[in-house]
Amino acid sequence: MGIADTYSEGRRFVIDRPLALVVGLFGVLLIVDFVGGLATGRIAVSAVATLVWDGLMQGLVVGLAGIGLSMTYSILSFANFAHGDYITSGAFSGWAVTYLLAGLGRADIGSLLLVGAGGSVFGGALGIGATQTPIAIVGGLVIAGLFTVVLALAIDRLVYKPMRDQSGISLLIASVGVAFALRYLIAFVFTTENRGVTGAGGVPEIQGYLLDGFVAVSAHDATLLVIAVGLMAGVHGLLQRTKLGTAMRAMADNEDLAKVTGIPTERVVNATWVIGGALTGIAGYMFVLWKGTLGFNDGWLLLLLVFAAVILGGIGSVYGAILGGLIIGLTNSLSVLWIPSDFARAAAFLVMILVLLFRPEGLFSGRSTA
Amino acid sequence: MSESEPAGSRKTGTEAEAEVEADADAERDGRDAGKRDAGERDAASGPETPRMDADESLLAVRNLDAGYGDLQILYDVQLDVADGEYVTIVGPNGAGKSTVMKSVFGLTTYMGGSVTFGGTDITGRNPEEIIHEGLGYVPQNENIFTSLSVAENLAMGAYILDDVPEGALAEVYERFPILDERRDQEAGTMSGGQRQMLAMGRALMLEPDLLLLDEPSAGLAPDLVDEMFDKIDEINASGTAILMVEQNAKEALRRCNRGYVFVQGRNRFVDSGRALLNDEEVRREFLGG
Repeated sequence: MGIADTYSEGRRFVIDRPLALVVGLFGVLLIVDFVGGLATGRIAVSAVATLVWDGLMQGLVVGLAGIGLSMTYSILSFANFAHGDYITSGAFSGWAVTYLLAGLGRADIGSLLLVGAGGSVFGGALGIGATQTPIAIVGGLVIAGLFTVVLALAIDRLVYKPMRDQSGISLLIASVGVAFALRYLIAFVFTTENRGVTGAGGVPEIQGYLLDGFVAVSAHDATLLVIAVGLMAGVHGLLQRTKLGTAMRAMADNEDLAKVTGIPTERVVNATWVIGGALTGIAGYMFVLWKGTLGFNDGWLLLLLVFAAVILGGIGSVYGAILGGLIIGLTNSLSVLWIPSDFARAAAFLVMILVLLFRPEGLFSGRSTA
Repeated sequence: MSESEPAGSRKTGTEAEAEVEADADAERDGRDAGKRDAGERDAASGPETPRMDADESLLAVRNLDAGYGDLQILYDVQLDVADGEYVTIVGPNGAGKSTVMKSVFGLTTYMGGSVTFGGTDITGRNPEEIIHEGLGYVPQNENIFTSLSVAENLAMGAYILDDVPEGALAEVYERFPILDERRDQEAGTMSGGQRQMLAMGRALMLEPDLLLLDEPSAGLAPDLVDEMFDKIDEINASGTAILMVEQNAKEALRRCNRGYVFVQGRNRFVDSGRALLNDEEVRREFLGG
């Protein structure tokens, strides 16, 4: 009887959810391949650890940048496509200040403020790094946050506020326009070239031996980890423990009721831009510090992954953005175990699509925690 | 319109307490608390007549035209609620009952007339301002923040104050013990009746002079409907005026001081609840015989 039950249950599973079966089999195949690779020595344990660490770092950047996107989505009910260029704006404003602080007296102020546009100053020559020039890094980080807050508020006032009662689609289209305007304004001022920004001597790192090789953790990895986790914890505390945070969750939950309860909704909107903007600008700055290069397309390219993370996590949820960011980052990084790195992004999106097939509302569905 | 006696005599604190206790006693004795209550109220306030004196009204709606966008729903509406009075609006679907409340609370498109509350002109003001005047509003649907805890919902009810008012909070918990038990529960996981109590509790956090209730019994199980009406009686007994829209017209008219019958965006009848219940035309057309 037991066997018959198991059989019929299995049959029902195959018929009801053939897709789950295919995905499950595919997953098993990947795992078998992975374990086989480890056993035969084709895949080094230390290399896997390095990929996991790298994926974690990418995930933190994506998650941090995703919080702002998710917040504005839940409060204002539209997907802000200009978010990627807020990331870039934060990065450029912050790095201009870092160049200025690190290179004052060694190059002219104009070239420093333009982050060495046209090859006038090279970041490598300035020896910028979290350990070499900590004050320049902190200064840049703070300015990246502040500048993006001002930018986000200004764009809200100019573009989004007059359209507050329009549909999410109209706002989305407007935000695409804002995205292009911002990106090419940045390209116009800072030029389109990709530049290295951190010290040429490389970033100091700690290496640990793991079974069959070394795993390195750099000073910039550590900086990113501390800042990202600190800010995420801060957002959690704000949302759960403060009156403003509760009001943000209330407004995300039910805007009409928030109004009749006496919550000043416009002030909550502004607070959302302030917090989301600061996180986004800082994410952009940290992204550039971590990867060591800066280009006008950085935020736009990152936005695809950010959107994938936010949608995967359940759009509108801050915790979903963080979790989604980590999943996307890890997938992006670990996929090279099986496929060429050129397809890493495709793998990240495939995971997003698969998750959505099984949980269409995202991982944190029905939990609009602002 | 003749003016004889104030329709809703505001009860003093001790009277109110006595009444609440009496209600509780009645329930313990297994008697019908609702009927007894209605009888007592009639005896206390004598023959009731509609009143149209803006000076004495807590809420005075005059010649109000309102709607949504270009669509006019209300035509020349007159409505009064005296201090501490319990007023019900009944009428067929689409008569504009809920729209009256939304208009008072600044949620519709204003088209003409005036709304005065406590002597202050609140015509066309937005809800964020109106709530400061001592008006509380419980919408019919989606009237709680489902992803917030019970305690957070109540705290949001007092958002406009610097701190959560301890006295009002304790009173809400005392009035609705189920909310006290479930302070940390996510509001969206509660039953319909509990949600309705939370919605009322949230609106009571600012200790409003007038509470607007939009169909508080909608969607509740029959045994909960009575309990809900009893709670509303208690809230009214402690001095809060009530303006309520109800589908459950007979019960609402039985319990209120005065009733308005709305038809096609106009108030067609106004009288004491009891008189409306006995009115031949009202009975035939709106109360199903």
